[in-house]
Amino acid sequence: MARFTLGVDVGGTFTDFHAVSAADGTRWRHKLPSTPDNPADAILAGLDVLLGEDGPGAEAVAWLEHGTTVATNALLQGRGATLALITTAGFRDLLEIGRQVRPHMYDLQKDPPRPLVPRHRRFELAERVSSEGRILNSPSEAEIDEIIDRVVASGAEAVAVCFLFAFLNPENEARVRDRLAERAPDLFVSLSHEVHPEFREFERFSTTVLNAYLQPVMARYLDSLEDRLAAAAPGAPLDVNQSSGGLMSVTRARRFPVRTALSGPAAGVVGAVEVARGAGRENIITLDMGGTSADVCLVQGGQAQLAFDREVAEFPVRLAMLDINTIGAGGGSILWFDADGLAKVGPESAGADPGPACYGRGGTAATVSDANLLLGRLPAGGLLGGRMPLDVALARAAFAPVAEHLGYSVERAAHGVIEIAVANMVRAIRAISVERGHDPREFSLMAFGGAGPLHASDVARALAITEIIVPAAPGILCAAGLLASDLKEDFVATARIRLEPGAEDALARTFEGLHEAARAWFRAEDVAPDARRVDAALDMRHVGQNFELRIDLGDQSTTEGVSLPDTAALAELFLRAHETQYGYRSADDAIEIVNFRLTARGRPPRAPDPVAPPHPETSAPATYRPVYFEAEAAVDTPVHGRDRLAPGQRLDGPAVIEQLDTTTVLFPGDRLRVDEASNLIIEVAPL
Amino acid sequence: MSTPQALDPIRLEIVHNALRSVADEAYIALMKSAYSTNIKERHDHSAALLDAQGRLVVQTERTIPMHLGSMLGLLDSIRRKYELEEIHPGDIFAGNDPYLAGGTHLPDVNLAMPVFLEGRLVAFACNVAHHADIGGMSPGSMDGNMSEIFQEGLRIPIVKLVRRGEFDRDVFDLLLTNVRIPRERRGDYHAQVAACRLAERRLLELNRRYSADLLEAAFDEIIARTETRMRRAIRELPKGRFVVEDFMDDDGLGTVDIPMRLAVEVGEETIRADFTGTARQVRGNINSPLSATVAAVAYAVKALLDPDAPNNEGVLNVIDVVAEDASLVRAAFPAALANRQQTCQRIADMVILALAEPLPEAVVGGSHGATVMAFFSGTDARTSEPYIYLEVIAGGAGGRFAKDGKDGVQVHTTNTSNLPVEAIEMEYPLFVESYGLIPDSGGPGRQSGGLGLRRVIHPLDEACVFAGHAERFRHRPPGVHGGGPGRPGRYQLEDAAGARRDLAAKAAGVPLGTGMRVIVESPGAGGYGAPSERTPEHLLADYESGKCTRDHLIEVYGFDPEGVAE
Repeated sequence: MARFTLGVDVGGTFTDFHAVSAADGTRWRHKLPSTPDNPADAILAGLDVLLGEDGPGAEAVAWLEHGTTVATNALLQGRGATLALITTAGFRDLLEIGRQVRPHMYDLQKDPPRPLVPRHRRFELAERVSSEGRILNSPSEAEIDEIIDRVVASGAEAVAVCFLFAFLNPENEARVRDRLAERAPDLFVSLSHEVHPEFREFERFSTTVLNAYLQPVMARYLDSLEDRLAAAAPGAPLDVNQSSGGLMSVTRARRFPVRTALSGPAAGVVGAVEVARGAGRENIITLDMGGTSADVCLVQGGQAQLAFDREVAEFPVRLAMLDINTIGAGGGSILWFDADGLAKVGPESAGADPGPACYGRGGTAATVSDANLLLGRLPAGGLLGGRMPLDVALARAAFAPVAEHLGYSVERAAHGVIEIAVANMVRAIRAISVERGHDPREFSLMAFGGAGPLHASDVARALAITEIIVPAAPGILCAAGLLASDLKEDFVATARIRLEPGAEDALARTFEGLHEAARAWFRAEDVAPDARRVDAALDMRHVGQNFELRIDLGDQSTTEGVSLPDTAALAELFLRAHETQYGYRSADDAIEIVNFRLTARGRPPRAPDPVAPPHPETSAPATYRPVYFEAEAAVDTPVHGRDRLAPGQRLDGPAVIEQLDTTTVLFPGDRLRVDEASNLIIEVAPL
Repeated sequence: MSTPQALDPIRLEIVHNALRSVADEAYIALMKSAYSTNIKERHDHSAALLDAQGRLVVQTERTIPMHLGSMLGLLDSIRRKYELEEIHPGDIFAGNDPYLAGGTHLPDVNLAMPVFLEGRLVAFACNVAHHADIGGMSPGSMDGNMSEIFQEGLRIPIVKLVRRGEFDRDVFDLLLTNVRIPRERRGDYHAQVAACRLAERRLLELNRRYSADLLEAAFDEIIARTETRMRRAIRELPKGRFVVEDFMDDDGLGTVDIPMRLAVEVGEETIRADFTGTARQVRGNINSPLSATVAAVAYAVKALLDPDAPNNEGVLNVIDVVAEDASLVRAAFPAALANRQQTCQRIADMVILALAEPLPEAVVGGSHGATVMAFFSGTDARTSEPYIYLEVIAGGAGGRFAKDGKDGVQVHTTNTSNLPVEAIEMEYPLFVESYGLIPDSGGPGRQSGGLGLRRVIHPLDEACVFAGHAERFRHRPPGVHGGGPGRPGRYQLEDAAGARRDLAAKAAGVPLGTGMRVIVESPGAGGYGAPSERTPEHLLADYESGKCTRDHLIEVYGFDPEGVAE
């Protein structure tokens, strides 16, 4: 009997399913509306369909991989735990002061978000560790117990324990943890040296506090999900997606829920990387555009770029996350005029309800989707194969006042809205490419989400990108990404070591400690030896600098111990990276290592590539309709059904390709072919 | 009329978007490739595009407000010295002198590169960056004890650093010979030059899509529309002349209680800031050149009227600054002005407070109104290497119409971040004992002023010297609409026996022996509205959070939180 690995991605609007048979690579895809009150409802409903009357049966689910927005939503809606903080004496305000900067240079009314722990629940303990990791002040058990009693009396459900230099010496944090386990076993506990064992206290404390804030919410959700899965899919291990684009076991997800804060978009990028791999592309820029926003991310050499300085709901989170740039440009984004009369599109969105005017649910604002409908790019026959009708007359009514204000035809105004939305996306892509030293022309644009393929040709042309890839199933790429993900865990040790001859021993010792931790993790997660991979990296800088460069040392899993380049070679790696990033090298300046990193990955067995679906009959386009590619005149354009396009088939623009979950627009001069994996590969006509 | 390149609100938005991308890209390139920590970490730099007449067209939004004024006099200075025919593609001008090159103080070095499109001069790609040292009598070129500009560093009038694409090696040598650690400064100059060239290249690329005529029309339109939006905001204000007075604490060289006077006149569509009656310039280097004064006024006007307005000449066009020559706010040669930001912070506070009546919901109480600096220097016994640790400690922000002032935050013309405690202790032989809010330091009010910060530091080695530079240690940040003033700041020195004494607000060269500690306290901020209107719920919360003590609540508000609790 075929066993399936199932990826389930719960998004704000839809819950997507993608199952793959381990035996023959058979794919099964499904999409259901999300159930925000209890996301598990939609998951179970999907399982019912998968395992229904004609399905393979409950024990057929071998593995369940899950992307969740539970943590993200709890943060955005402020529904986390009542929190307390235990911190080093003299520093209880640190969480509130942050980096002492204001979020908007000119706005006197705008503040950073309030700290998640109010001042009266922030407790100071007389403890201190030095910058060398020596214990300077060791609190007595009575002092610790007294603080714990105050935490309990404060009514907190969860407590964050955050001490200075705990990443160098966790003893004091660990002692508090042990006393908490005795004295207040029901409290959720997050320790700074476990959540984020790196220097720079505000970011570490903030990340730890966020983690504690999310612990009870995540525990409740996962408990209920596991209970229900025990009946529906017994024996299937559950993994949860992390914001860095890897999976973790459900046990770790309970301990470190903050790692899931951006897991949704991350899965989409991993899915895109997987599609790119199948299409033989290593360098892509992803464009995931939905109803309210567009996410863009740069992937080089098959690796999505990571960021370590992201914010979630305006709180800094110093964990590795995919470097995804999100802007308020989606199908529902609304046209408005600023105080100086300039036309703007987004970030305000009509959302799903009322949605764009053409949805006929009472929306009256002129949106990007209305513009696409007026220009003939979206089908007047409606979305989702006609299940969701669109009303051109309502779109026209929404645009009429705008067009009159501008003195334009409705179509020209609509074309302008698309131009502005595209300009915003172009700016977002420039920020993750050009501004980081990458030339977008060397990348393919991978367009997905409901609205990505609609705008990809415009975006690509503006950036002089010459190739677009539209995956076979652009609407469920996140669920597909889950299936392509590894189990992943990051290990870090902070130790400042000058990079000079003779330092090799200290380096090796530090790495060996991390390897030991990684081996323990592999055992705990039951990762088979041949499925293990360990990558090493060093954060290095010139002495005196206050920012580090991450130098990847690559795969270290072939050796039991550590095989490092010598110090001269490490210095050269650093100087070269410094030159690429900053434009000059200072070979005479001393270099130091600040952080040692290992990333451990457990590769789940990969399903075989799918059997190519039977080639459908190549057929003539079903219909023609007028489409405005320019503002002035429409072109009668053939409309193709995506399910009618067979691998190997070619099309020249102009053309519109419709499928259940997206619409792809091929501009005049664009050339399309369908590759073996049924991706659309579009060669973009130059500007 | 409707040619394909006509400038409608849609095309204008797209061109404006593209121009902002050019400035942003130059800004980031400069930040990444510069050497000075001021640029890399404090982001004390800025990138901008000027049109051929020298008008500011776009400036990066992340720019600190001080730099709004940095480009003001640049083009005039270039044109005073060079004829149009002497300006060529590939040239790059450099300057920093407040008296000759439109600078605001010497460490801020301006670069400007003419951009020629279709054979004619259309724009200047400009940037400004705060170099970590520009020479002069003290390392860092910012000490408070300098009394004329010659002591403050190398004065660069407008010079051509790059001629038709080639560095002028002689000029460059001269610049680098006169600064400390020339190797690092070379990196800063190279970064600035690269940022200019990047912006030039991007404009040339834009020119492939948009003609020079269209771009120039867009420059006009962008500025005009911002100006219109500012004028519209001013038109809605009650008219009148609003006068405020304040005093700077001292100049560090013996002049104390320096009077400042400002009359803000709200006209039909413009705002005039008249500083007539403000003190003459002083010996100490808190004098502000006119361009910095204008920047501070523009900051405050924009913050009050339209925080989201783009940074361009349109904002400046609605503001008229009147100041007597050789006064504190319009320094004349050879006044020293390295620390002009202290005066500029005060100017921003004064403009805001002056407009309390016409803009009751937008104004805020007087903020901590200073840059409270702390320098620790010495030789690290662990490495035998010299070190200087410099930090600006934030303070309270003023109480607001509907919200208390923010505690412990940078205000107005600056927004630099702190250095983490863990970074300080790993980097320097210093120990941070505590870092926190100062209870009771916010001015009382219906909405109270933000709290100041206290940082307590002691050196681990004997050979350590402390210096400070701050304001509002004597003259407290005033409240508004009946709010009370915030508590002043102070530097204190505590000896091994625990005895404390106050240090001067411009303390220089204070040796720290074994067992001594320095206590830095930044000012709180003024409150908003009468303290009697503060609700019992707020007062109880003040007590519960520990931001106010019981004694303070009883004394200032006549409210006993423990009395209520029963």
